[in-house]
Amino acid sequence: MPPATFELVDESGVFDGEQPGILDDRERALVIGAANYYALTMPGQTFRFTVLRGPSGSLPSLTDEETSQIEWADDRQVVGSMVFRSVVHTTRSSGEAEAMIDLTVDVGGAEQIATAYNQLPGVLGAVRRAVRFSAPVQFDALRQFRTDVIHWRNRSEQPSKASPVLIDRGASAVGPGKVPAVLFGIHWLELGGAERWAVETVQLAKEAGLVPIVVTDRPSSHPWITRPEFDGAVVVPLTMPLPPGQESAFLNGVLSAFDVRGVHVHHCTWLYERLPWLKAVRPDIPVVDSLHILEYRTGGFVDISVRMSNVIDKHHVISPQLRDYLIGKQDVDKDKVALATLANLTVRGEAPEPAAAADGPFTVAFVGRFTQQKRPYLFLKLAAELKGSAPGDIRFIMHGDGELSGEVHGLRSRLGLADVLEIRGPDQPVSRTLAESDVLVISSDNEGLTLTSFEASAAGVPVVSADVGSQASLIADDLLCPRHPYPFIRTAADRIATMMTDPQQRETWLAEQREKSEAFAALPDARSMVRDLYQGWMQ
Amino acid sequence: MSTVAAVVVTYNRKDKLTKVLDHVLGQSLRPSWVVVVDNASTDGTADILADYAKRDDRVVVVSLDSNTGGAGGFATGMARGYELGADFVWIMDDDCYPNADALEELVNGHAKAESTLGTQLPYACSLVKFIDGSICEMNNPGTTWDWGRLISKGEQSVLVTHCSFVSVLFPRWTLTRHGLPLKEYFIWFDDQEYTLRITKDAPGVQVLTSVVVHDMGVNRGVNFGDVTPANVWKFEYGARNEASFRLHHENAVAFAKFVLRMFQGLRGGGVPWPLRVRLFKKVIEGVKFNPKPDFPRSVL
Repeated sequence: MPPATFELVDESGVFDGEQPGILDDRERALVIGAANYYALTMPGQTFRFTVLRGPSGSLPSLTDEETSQIEWADDRQVVGSMVFRSVVHTTRSSGEAEAMIDLTVDVGGAEQIATAYNQLPGVLGAVRRAVRFSAPVQFDALRQFRTDVIHWRNRSEQPSKASPVLIDRGASAVGPGKVPAVLFGIHWLELGGAERWAVETVQLAKEAGLVPIVVTDRPSSHPWITRPEFDGAVVVPLTMPLPPGQESAFLNGVLSAFDVRGVHVHHCTWLYERLPWLKAVRPDIPVVDSLHILEYRTGGFVDISVRMSNVIDKHHVISPQLRDYLIGKQDVDKDKVALATLANLTVRGEAPEPAAAADGPFTVAFVGRFTQQKRPYLFLKLAAELKGSAPGDIRFIMHGDGELSGEVHGLRSRLGLADVLEIRGPDQPVSRTLAESDVLVISSDNEGLTLTSFEASAAGVPVVSADVGSQASLIADDLLCPRHPYPFIRTAADRIATMMTDPQQRETWLAEQREKSEAFAALPDARSMVRDLYQGWMQ
Repeated sequence: MSTVAAVVVTYNRKDKLTKVLDHVLGQSLRPSWVVVVDNASTDGTADILADYAKRDDRVVVVSLDSNTGGAGGFATGMARGYELGADFVWIMDDDCYPNADALEELVNGHAKAESTLGTQLPYACSLVKFIDGSICEMNNPGTTWDWGRLISKGEQSVLVTHCSFVSVLFPRWTLTRHGLPLKEYFIWFDDQEYTLRITKDAPGVQVLTSVVVHDMGVNRGVNFGDVTPANVWKFEYGARNEASFRLHHENAVAFAKFVLRMFQGLRGGGVPWPLRVRLFKKVIEGVKFNPKPDFPRSVL
C-alpha cells in the first residue's frame, strides 16, 4: 500500500462493510481517487463524501466544482457515505482543522468507452452520420482532403514555445515528504496504446521503489483503474473544472506529502500546462514526457510538448518520425530527445512461423478494432474490388470488433462479400488468423506504429499498409499505399494481385519487411531506458 | 558520432564512376553508407555496382527503372540516406573526385561555422576545381553580403546563398524541414532551387579546405549563348525551371529579368531563331509549372 494521504473515520457502503457490493472495485477506486485529491489539496481537513451513482453512460464527477453542491439530479442514487481526515501537511504548523467539509462525489454510470465518434449533436450531426454511413468511402475521401489542408498548414507554422524558468530553487515553507515518488500525468485509464505504455511505466516506477502518483485529466469511467499495476499507486482521476485555487494546493500537497523525484507526462494536457509552474516551484525535479503519435489533424500532444519544451528535460519518443519532427522541424535540442521504441511489446519470444500453405484460396486479412481510425470500410471496399479482379481464388478475414461493427456487417452484405469474407471476434487468437493469412492489410488513416506489423513479420505475412505515421519504418517500400481512399484501394489491390501471380515477389517484399522489423527492433528499448531513468531518480 | 550517407547519382558513365566511388570509399572520414543511384544506365553500370556492393557492405545500390535526371536521382538518393538514419547526406555527381579529406573538412568546417555563428547552417559545400587545378566555372556558389564573416574569425569558409550539387553536405534536419530537391525539374536549376530554398533560415557555407575535382569535358559555365541543336534539350529544362522558380518563388520582376538575361544571352551568342523559339516556349511552360517538394520518410 502507498503511504496513506488520508485516514478513514467512518464509512457506509464504500468499503467491504456490512453491505458488500454496493460499490464495485472500480467505483471504490474512483472514490479513493477523489479522497486522495481532497486530502492532498486541503491538508489536515476532515471531509464527508456523499457518494452518488449515475445512470449508465454518465461520467464521474470527482474533483470539479459540482462536488461542493449538496443537491443532485433525480437520476443519481446515493450509494455510499464516508468521513475521512487528511494526513498531509504543507506548512510547518498546520492550521487548526476547520469544521467538516461536505462533498458530493459522483462515480458515474456503468463503464463506457468515451468516443468522439457520435458526439456531434443536432441536425448537423444527424446529416453527418447519415452521409458517413451511406457513403463511407466518399466521406473518407473528403476527410483526407481536410487532412491534407491541415497538414500543409501545419508545415508552415511553428508553434511558440513557453519561456524557460531561470531560477534553480523555488522558495518554500516546508521541505519535501520522505517517501520517494514519481508524478505521472496520464490521459485516462482506459484502452489505448499510449495508456498501455503509461501503465507499464507505473509498474516500472514501483519496481524501482518509487510511489507512482497518477493524475488523469480526461472525463472517463477509467475501466483500467482496477488493474494490478495501480495497486500501491496514489491515483487521482481529476474531473474538470477544478475549483479556483485548488490546482496549486493539490500540487503543493503532492510535493509536501511525497519526495517527488521526477515527473513523467504521458499525454496529459493538464499536467503539461502546469509544468512551468511546477518548474518555478521545484526546478530540481526532472521532467520527462513520452510521445507516441503525430496527430496532424489536432496538433495533439506533440505540439503541447514542443510548447513546453523549455520546462521539459527529456522528450521520450517512440518512433524515428517523432524524433525527426522534434529535432528537425521543431528545433528541439538533439540531446533532449531520446528515441526508445516499444518494439518488443509483442514480438518478444515469438519464433517465426512458416508462411501460409500454398494451396487453398489466397487469404487477405484485416486485424484491428473496427473504429474510424482503422477504416474497416476501406478494407471491405478493397475486398469487393479484389473479389472482382483478383487473378485467382481469394478469401478475406476481418478480425476485430468495435463501434463500427454494425457498419462492417452491413457493408459485407451490401458489397456481396458474404460468401468470401469471414468476420472473427476478438475472442479468437490473432496468431491463428495470421497463420491462415497470405497478406495483412492495414487501412488506418493514422497510426503510431502498428504492433500487428511486428506480429505479421514474425508470422511470415507481408503487410500492405497505408503510408501513415511510422508505418514506413516497418513496411516494404512498394507495399506502402497512399492514404487517400481511392488511390489506397487501387495500389493495395495491385500489390495483392502481384503477390498472387508472383510468389517470388511476395517473398522479396516479406524479406524487406522482416529486415526493417529487425533493424527497428535493434533501436534502443523504451523499457530499459525508463527503468534506468527511474533508478537514477531513486539515487 | 555523426553518421554520413554519401550519395552519388550516375547515368551511363561507368569509367568515371569507379574513380568516384574509390575516392568516396577511401575518405579519411568514412561515410557509413555510399548510396549510388543508377538512373537506368544502359552501359553495364549495374555490373560494376554489383561488384562494389559485394566488396564493401557500405555500398547501397538504388536502381531506377527509368532515367529521372539529376534532380530525380538526388531526391531519391537523399531520401534513401535519410531512411537509413544518416545524420548527414553528402551528395555529388558521377564525375566528381573528392580529395581524401574532403568529407572530413566539410563536416568539421560546418560544425565550426555553426559554433562560431551560434546558429544551425543548412548545408556546406566544397571548393570545386577542374582537372587542371583551376576553378570549375560551372560550380561556384553565390555568396552572401557578409561572405567574409567566418574568414575574419580565422576560418577557411565563406557564407553562401546557393551552390551546385557537386559535393554538398546536408544535415538531416534540412531534409526534415525543407524536404527534397524538386524531382520534376529533371535536370538543371534543381540545385539552385534547393539551396536557395533551404537558405531561407540561414546561409550555407563553402568550406575552402574541402576540395573536389569535377571531371567535366570542358571547363565552361552555363551561358545561353552556347545553345546548339545538340544541347538545346538541356537548356530547355533550364529555361523552364528557372522561369518557374523566378516567377513562383521570387516575383514577376525577377521573372522578367531572367527572360531579359536569356534573350540577351541568345542574341549575344547568335543562336538560330528556331532554337530561341523553342526556349521561349519553355519559358511559357514555366509559368504553369510549379512543382511542390516531397518530404523524406523517417524509417530508422
